[in-house]
Amino acid sequence: MTAFVLTLCGAALAVGLELLEALAIVLAVGSTRSWRDALIGAAGAVAGLALVVVVVGPLVLARLPLGPLKVVIGVALLLFGLEWLRKGVLRLAGRRSPSSSFKEYLEEREALEGMAAPPPGRPDWPARVIAGKGVLLEGVEVVLIVAALGAGPDGLAPAISGAGVAVVLTVGIGLVLHRPLMRLPESHLKYAVGIVLSSFGVFFLGEGLDVEWPLGDAALLYIAATLLVVSQLQVAALGREPVPAG
Amino acid sequence: MRALRKLIFGETVALPVGVALVLGAALALHALARAWWPEGGGFVLLALVVAVLAVALAPAHRRR
Repeated sequence: MTAFVLTLCGAALAVGLELLEALAIVLAVGSTRSWRDALIGAAGAVAGLALVVVVVGPLVLARLPLGPLKVVIGVALLLFGLEWLRKGVLRLAGRRSPSSSFKEYLEEREALEGMAAPPPGRPDWPARVIAGKGVLLEGVEVVLIVAALGAGPDGLAPAISGAGVAVVLTVGIGLVLHRPLMRLPESHLKYAVGIVLSSFGVFFLGEGLDVEWPLGDAALLYIAATLLVVSQLQVAALGREPVPAG
Repeated sequence: MRALRKLIFGETVALPVGVALVLGAALALHALARAWWPEGGGFVLLALVVAVLAVALAPAHRRR
């Protein structure tokens, strides 16, 4: 039950936050250049991602035995999770600018407004490439996180459900746009995702190497609690130190 | 390519190198310390991961 709830929440948060970043780019391209080209670029990226799913899913994950598969999943989740956690600590300590998809949207709009538009009736390739690249890069991370969380024992249902919830919420936010995007505490949410993904990473890596976690799945809770305490100590220590000039 | 490299390896080499070292140490202990690894190995892994996080954050502490 613990693993189910954490997988669902972890997948929903991670996918939602990645999709928000992709959405910010597509909205910026659509509102400054052309909605048609923005959607064509995004659709091309989704087609590319479908190819990644086909490769990551049946060809790679399903062919590995369970032990080595858990080691691979654990390492992948640790790589993603620790990076999110490191950035989260720096943001909460004020050593890095807060994460904001709205700010990303404004920056992307500003950059696009400076680019020359194509002649009328011609495809806007720069717009398509920018929208496609944004969706592809964020989407690859989504696919890898959902595949890693879903490949664990009984992980597929909560990982896909969490991703589904995230897609619905992100599309909802996209429809009503600016205000919800500005209000989201993205830095805190990304920090929480870092804790969840890193916890699963430690847990699966251990299971893949024959570790018998005391309390079974509930080990995820004390792993997460340890990472929370350690990272909060880091936030406090960095927050006490003077911020470097420049 | 730069964006893809950043996506896979992150912004600092400390994390991928650290995770690789954790994996190497875990594989070695799994093979050599069979007596206590199943019961105690998880806590060793957790301690190693905490150490990797601390090392990855060390540059921020040094930048004063």
